Amino acid sequence: MAAPSLNESELQFLRALLRRKVRFMVVGLSAAALQGAPVVTQDVDLWFERLEDPRIVEALREVNAAYVPPSILNPPMFVGGGVELFDIVLTMHGLGTFSEELDKCVNVSLGRHNLKVLRVDRILASKRAANRPKDRLVIPVLEDSLATTTISARRSKKKLKSTKRKSS
Amino acid sequence: MSDKKNVSQDRKAAQWARGLMESVRAVLAARPEADPDNVRHTLILLEQHPIERLRRSLTRGRALAQRK
Repeated sequence: MAAPSLNESELQFLRALLRRKVRFMVVGLSAAALQGAPVVTQDVDLWFERLEDPRIVEALREVNAAYVPPSILNPPMFVGGGVELFDIVLTMHGLGTFSEELDKCVNVSLGRHNLKVLRVDRILASKRAANRPKDRLVIPVLEDSLATTTISARRSKKKLKSTKRKSS
Repeated sequence: MSDKKNVSQDRKAAQWARGLMESVRAVLAARPEADPDNVRHTLILLEQHPIERLRRSLTRGRALAQRK
């Protein structure tokens, strides 16, 4: 039996970061899943502009978790409070700077705040650049999903226009 | 009463499935190289709230990891 996914304390941590206006975005396959791509993932990758931002530690304290800085033995990690699900991303292959990518993000509503999520076409760019076997496996799924989202949005717009025309 | 309810539920389900497959065909007409399953699953997921989509993805991902 798998552990329940994305529980209340994990959502609380995301809200705590957003409330403090920490600059971060969701990247990787969890970002693709948020946008409707039929992909599976085990963790949520978060890309922070500055890991030294003291507001990150404040948000962690709010959910009884802590930040473990990188060492020879471990990558940077969030520990405790049920936030181990989140992976810290330091660099993204094939993308622009953090600020450039943040401007292109889509917003996902999380209560009163908006979660910044890396767009699927940008996830594709990073997967193509990383080009590991696991990236190559998921590229066709992301391409199909992006096409589906684009085409179905275009169809919905067309339908809406024709409904408006009929009613006027 | 319950029979009537079942009939109406079945009708709704059939209508939803027809609409879904119509959308799948429309996407495949514009992108014939796409995998129909990827298209269908994306369309189904687009009907869910983003957080629910992520929950599903994580649930399946962790279940797969535990099976390995």
